[in-house]
Amino acid sequence: MGDCTDKMDVIVVGAGLAGLSTAYFLADAGLDVLVVERGDFPGSKNVTGGRIYLNPVRDLFPDLWEQAPLERHVTRERLTMMARESATTVELQSERFNRQPYHSYTILRAKFDRWFADRVAEKGAFLIPKNKVDDLVFEGGRVAGIVADGDEIHADVVVAADGILSLMAEKAGLREKQQPRHFAVSMKEVIELPRQTIEDRFNLEGDQGLAQLFFGELTQGMMGGGFLYTNLESISLGLVVGVESLMERDPLQEVHPLMEAFKERPEIRVLLEGGEVVEYSAHVITEGGIHAMPKLFSDGMLVVGDAAGLGLNMLMTIRGMEYALASGAMAAQAIQRAKEKGDFSASTLAYYEELLKDSFVLKDMHTFRHALNILENPRLFNLYPQVVCDLFEKLMWIDSGPKEGLFSIVFGEVRSKLLSFSVLRDVLSFCKM
Amino acid sequence: MAEILVFSEKDDLAFELVSKGRELGAALNVGVAAALLGEGAGARSDEYFAYGADRVYVAHHPALAHFHAEAFAEALYQIAQKNDAQVLLLASTKRGKELSPRVAQKLGAGCVTDATAVEVQDGNLLVSRYALGGNTVASEFIKTPHKVIAVMPKTFELGAKEARQGEVVTVDLDLKEPRTRIVERREKAGEAVNLEEAEVLVCIGRGLEKKQDLGIIEELARALGAEIGCTKTLCSDYQWLSEDRLVGLSGKKTSPGLVISVGISGQIQYTVGIRGARIAVAINKDGQAPIFALSDYGIVGDLYQVVPKLVEALRAA
Amino acid sequence: MNIVVCLKQIPDLQQIRIKDRRPLLEGAPLIFGDMDKSALEEAVRIKEKAKGTKVTALAMGGAKLKDGIKEALAIGADEAVLLMDPPFAGSDTMGTARALAKAIEKLGEHDLILCGEGSTDNYSGQVGPRLAELLDLPQITYVRELEIEGNKLKAVRNMEESFEVVETELPALVTVADEINQPRLASLRDILKAARKPVQEWTAADLGLSEDEVGAKGSAIETVSNLAPEQERKQVVFKGDLDEVTENLINALTKEGVLGR
Ligand SMILES: Cc1cc2nc3c(=O)[nH]c(=O)nc-3n(C[C@H](O)[C@H](O)[C@H](O)COP(=O)(O)OP(=O)(O)OC[C@H]3O[C@@H](n4cnc5c(N)ncnc54)[C@H](O)[C@@H]3O)c2cc1C
Ligand SMILES: Cc1cc2nc3c(=O)[nH]c(=O)nc-3n(C[C@H](O)[C@H](O)[C@H](O)COP(=O)(O)OP(=O)(O)OC[C@H]3O[C@@H](n4cnc5c(N)ncnc54)[C@H](O)[C@@H]3O)c2cc1C
Ligand SMILES: Nc1ncnc2c1ncn2[C@@H]1O[C@H](COP(=O)(O)O)[C@@H](O)[C@H]1O
Repeated sequence: MGDCTDKMDVIVVGAGLAGLSTAYFLADAGLDVLVVERGDFPGSKNVTGGRIYLNPVRDLFPDLWEQAPLERHVTRERLTMMARESATTVELQSERFNRQPYHSYTILRAKFDRWFADRVAEKGAFLIPKNKVDDLVFEGGRVAGIVADGDEIHADVVVAADGILSLMAEKAGLREKQQPRHFAVSMKEVIELPRQTIEDRFNLEGDQGLAQLFFGELTQGMMGGGFLYTNLESISLGLVVGVESLMERDPLQEVHPLMEAFKERPEIRVLLEGGEVVEYSAHVITEGGIHAMPKLFSDGMLVVGDAAGLGLNMLMTIRGMEYALASGAMAAQAIQRAKEKGDFSASTLAYYEELLKDSFVLKDMHTFRHALNILENPRLFNLYPQVVCDLFEKLMWIDSGPKEGLFSIVFGEVRSKLLSFSVLRDVLSFCKM
Repeated sequence: MAEILVFSEKDDLAFELVSKGRELGAALNVGVAAALLGEGAGARSDEYFAYGADRVYVAHHPALAHFHAEAFAEALYQIAQKNDAQVLLLASTKRGKELSPRVAQKLGAGCVTDATAVEVQDGNLLVSRYALGGNTVASEFIKTPHKVIAVMPKTFELGAKEARQGEVVTVDLDLKEPRTRIVERREKAGEAVNLEEAEVLVCIGRGLEKKQDLGIIEELARALGAEIGCTKTLCSDYQWLSEDRLVGLSGKKTSPGLVISVGISGQIQYTVGIRGARIAVAINKDGQAPIFALSDYGIVGDLYQVVPKLVEALRAA
Repeated sequence: MNIVVCLKQIPDLQQIRIKDRRPLLEGAPLIFGDMDKSALEEAVRIKEKAKGTKVTALAMGGAKLKDGIKEALAIGADEAVLLMDPPFAGSDTMGTARALAKAIEKLGEHDLILCGEGSTDNYSGQVGPRLAELLDLPQITYVRELEIEGNKLKAVRNMEESFEVVETELPALVTVADEINQPRLASLRDILKAARKPVQEWTAADLGLSEDEVGAKGSAIETVSNLAPEQERKQVVFKGDLDEVTENLINALTKEGVLGR
């Protein structure tokens, strides 16, 4: 490393997947890279549900995935609609998901990020945890470095990889004031259970895993949902609720009681029995999609990962990790090009956005541009789950008298609860997803 | 193994070791001796015999006039060598704790300091001590022929005194003048407290803002008939209370019926000192403080409000 | 003046989890112990006063030291020597002292060796005195104030009943209590600068030590078990209205029979 105290080639703010990915490629290309992370260690402050889909990013990191500390490959997918006293679950068990190379794994960030950070350090990047970046240094209108604890450190490029509430993007004037409707808050617990118990309880063989999503009663009609992922020796359980829905409640709804109630649901309680909560976190999540993205570059600066708003709630799944990894790789590519040209102005760095546009990242963001509008529909979280469960319950229930014909049950339910203009509109809007 | 050699600069602690040494010696079939070093050494030889020593080695030497680890270690080493003592039992006071490893190194011996139990197992000594900052208790064998064990004060019961005779051996030692000099000793103002025996204990930590505020803690202690203990910062750094009141890994291990930890975060080095309490209570304004997980009952609140209220309620009750 | 500070990298004890009475060290981040950091801080303060002082950080441990040592260099050590070699693994205090002593001898002239009063995990307080014996140095332990002038060292020791003021001539070995100072935090710039400071890695062979003299093989201690004591606390927490919570507590304590004598 050169005389780095005076100036680095690149400073990356935040050692999440986006920041680490950026640093991984830049250090590999021989640039002087400094990554500053405020957490005790990479992964300590990072929250993901979560699962990662490897196909979009597999070839980006050819050497990485073989050794990576991933948890279970997902072979069973469940979707649960929760009503007040009942729940209906649809389950997919797919042999296709059980064939190498596996398409999706569960993941624990505290483990993965720490491991990834070691790989990044091996490439020669300088990683400093336990330090918070407070501000940016500007020179002649361009971003020229960072300020941490009073120290100024200069660089050709600063990469904002500081997550969803990105202070850096804000300081650089790349982001407008954000709206509450663009955010959700989440709580997550990691509950430890013996490996064998998990495999027995969820009918899993070896390293197979299960992913389960919940919506309905658990958010009490508010926008949001829950998730459960099986890891090797633990379960990740969490809940996501839209900030605006919480704020509309009077008095303001807190998330914590919802989580407690969720855990107390009979369907969930049995799954957690005997487990010990070993990790507990709360985090903000982006719901804004493409409409809430900041500007992605300026003179001397790029924004990646969650900081760039590159996250989607696709209802069936929350995605952000692949976008974080891919955007980091593309930022690195753009920076390398700028380095070759010796020009770090916005016009050179704009190449980053071009790369993103050509990739799955911005294409996905575009495809799912209506997601938020659809998700903001309260019927999704109260009416539909209740109807499905009620219907199913009625179909299954045998009373003392004669049983009503099945068709007539279905028809009756649909006519009384679903035959309305707004439901028709919902159906049309779901088609956009 | 010809004998067990006991030493502490404090005779009363040496007696505890002699009592235990006799028990261990009986199991291992060896005698017990004690080394009496320095100023006034030998004055209480009879008591050593009464507690069970077969022999005492008395050494007077100018190099031993004051306690210097260097000289004391050499003295013990020479006595152990000359008399084929293979097990050395010392008291793990601060002096004993700095002395033990130095003697051990001379003897090429393994050493355990701050031992909390010693027992004979398969003809060998199994020694327990706190490990990982107090998180765990380790049981260890010392594999070398010589074994040096520094035992926490008050670990062993003082045996009954018996009318016994023993041998006083005056030893000549070849010692160099120690290279350290004591130029001043500032006595600490300390009242005699015996936290180990306390039935109720109120412990105060860094949640207390200033020394003057100790008043409210004293009131709580009075209302409960409790002794006052504290965390390290309060006695070592601030010196608001004497070190006799330190509870924890480097202080007292207590076993009261009730302990109330006030303004204490609950780091392991402290909590190891209240593990023996039957009922543990915590008062802390931070609901996430680890002390709550290590307590039976807790109040989340500002001690400046909770403690006076508690005193008031206790008085009314 | 040459000062050597011995630092031990230990798992962050606050982050250790106990499961089935066994400590799980795997996930715990590694840090330097409090007293070791105070020893380093003291060395740096001496250096700041006495021109021409060199501070060497010496640590024996695992591969993570390479990263961890940056903190010591950032705080102000001029160079570092790391004893990282598989044969060192599992060393007890005797093996540790042996290796550290060899390393200090290999470093050459030394005037002051600083250790912590005890390592934060083991807290045996053995390595310092053993080192003093191996290097034939006077030892001054539990030091809360340290003053060095020329060749003279004056220290205030924190003993049970007194503060003892002790003098000696250098070279000497001193172990410090954590109240001696408040270690500084390294700034980002300090950490970056530290990257250029020399770090040497020595193996057992470099120190002329055979595999039987260090590590688990060269250890005098055999650990039979290392378990957390069994303890279950009720963990009832009262919060909210002051009158209510105090009443709840007093009721609970009365029921337990620990109140009122
Ligand atoms: C509950 C929940 C469930 C999710 N589930 C999934 C899922 O199943 N699949 C999926 O793909 N995605 C999921 N996501 C989204 C995914 O976690 C994020 O998209 C991803 O973590 C983004 O990575 P990042 O590196 O951009 O940001 P982060 O991982 O948030 O990293 C930002 C880093 O910057 C650091 N930082 C912030 N400010 C500063 C500062 N000033 N100075 C220094 N450092 C700073 C932070 O400490 C942090 O380490 C989920 C998110 C949540 C909250
Ligand atoms: C080798 C070694 C040995 C040690 N041995 C011991 C030992 O024997 N004994 C010992 O105690 N320590 C020992 N320590 C130190 C120990 O690690 C901790 O630093 C110490 O116990 C912390 O003391 P504390 O809880 O008072 O302070 P802190 O950890 O600072 O906690 C203060 C607590 O007070 C609370 N608080 C603040 N204001 C208020 C208020 N107004 N009302 C209510 N609560 C409030 C805070 O929320 C906080 O939880 C040792 C350390 C080492 C390294
Ligand atoms: N592995 C090690 N590397 C460097 N120094 C050590 C090591 N182990 C112990 N020390 C030093 O010796 C002191 C006492 O340690 P201990 O004997 O384990 O209580 C510590 O505070 C350190 O200064």
